Amino acid sequence: MNKRMTLGRYRMLQTVQWVVFALLAFVGFVLMTSGSHVQPILLIPLALCISAHFGEIPAAAVGVVSGLLMDIACGKLLGYNAIWMVTCCVIVSLLHSYYLRDKLLNILGLTAVCVAVQGYMDFMLYYAIWGHENVTLIYTHVMLPSGIMTLVGTIPVWLLVRWICRICGSRRSFELEKTIVTNQ
Amino acid sequence: MNHFFKSTRFKVILFIIALLTGIMVYAVSVGGYSLSAVSLFRTIAAPFQRVSNSLSERVEHSLNVYRDAEIHYEQNKALKQEVAELHKELAEYDDMKRRLEELQEFVGIKEEYKDLVFSAPCEVINYVTNDPFGAFIIGQGSADGIELYDPVVTDLGLVGVITEVGEHTSQVTTILSPDVSVAVYCSTTTDHGVVTGNVGLSLDGLCRLQYLEKDTQIRKDKVILTSGENGMFPKGYVVGYVRDVQVDETGLTTTASVEPAAEILDLSMVIVIKDFTGKDVTQP
Repeated sequence: MNKRMTLGRYRMLQTVQWVVFALLAFVGFVLMTSGSHVQPILLIPLALCISAHFGEIPAAAVGVVSGLLMDIACGKLLGYNAIWMVTCCVIVSLLHSYYLRDKLLNILGLTAVCVAVQGYMDFMLYYAIWGHENVTLIYTHVMLPSGIMTLVGTIPVWLLVRWICRICGSRRSFELEKTIVTNQ
Repeated sequence: MNHFFKSTRFKVILFIIALLTGIMVYAVSVGGYSLSAVSLFRTIAAPFQRVSNSLSERVEHSLNVYRDAEIHYEQNKALKQEVAELHKELAEYDDMKRRLEELQEFVGIKEEYKDLVFSAPCEVINYVTNDPFGAFIIGQGSADGIELYDPVVTDLGLVGVITEVGEHTSQVTTILSPDVSVAVYCSTTTDHGVVTGNVGLSLDGLCRLQYLEKDTQIRKDKVILTSGENGMFPKGYVVGYVRDVQVDETGLTTTASVEPAAEILDLSMVIVIKDFTGKDVTQP
């Protein structure tokens, strides 16, 4: 009986958790598209922080959603950022399953790599490839500040996602709890 | 980790990536037109973006007042001096005559505007994130008669051109972008050239007027108008004002920096010119 109750509560909390994540992604999208100044791409740390707490398939789904939202917000070819985000989210999920612990420094490092590669690809494929004059100014005046702001934004995002996961519980902690109950 | 690469999960992820590649290829094939799912999402997100955008604008304006206080003070001083000089100039007959001629030119343009078919005013929903050339999304699309490569203007001047059309939203690429070129002429000297975006100038909200003759008479503050030569823009619409003129490194032509008449990075409403005499958008 107790086990069924736990399972029901777990499922409910998981639903709440994913609804909150979806809302956060939408808020991230709306914030990204506010104003005409340089913006942090908050969807990157959000997707990576969520992926660190889940398996590869949910991480891939998070990557698809966040990547497509980034494509729409940044006016890029639909699917361009999504492919990169799926790859990053799955790698982050695998690294956290096998090698890394959920620490701020780890996620900051991974976000930095993800932002740097994404920024470089953007710069090369959307600007440098056309050979515009003074094109490096785009990197120094737009992409670099945006990347730094994204890294700074990673800290509150990581804290928020960790707090949500602690309240709602991850699959890993549920399975651990279930194993303990079964052994007792 | 090796176990993962042999698992079904890995195959599912590969399938997702293949699917996204397919979506990307399809998005390329519809060139210039938004996918209906994107258009739908933009329509749903638009009210939230409007609220967020207006909040962001208020915060930006408040911060700018404090940040630019010293600049405004200096500008105010400079403007006062400029006003005094202008008063002197106004007293001179020749200057009056020149101004009269310019006014006559504008009256002529107003009459010419009669042949333009304007859309209803379009709200700027949001600026494209981190676009260095100020591209933005407007709240009208193909359902409102907007077509690809329609010119976008404000009452002050030319803003850009429609580069992506959805059902209820469209994306505008501004004249700050190197992807947009506008054939222009000077209202007083009749020198012809091409206004196009430039990476360095776009960061200061300026664009470049190039292919002017070496001995051009264009000087600071001259008004630049569209010449309508390539059929993409109507003739005689204000593009901007000359800010700086310099001879190119080759010494064969002259280039000028132009400040767009419309405040491209601070727009809330624009109008699309749906039709005009001489329109020809077969070649963007």
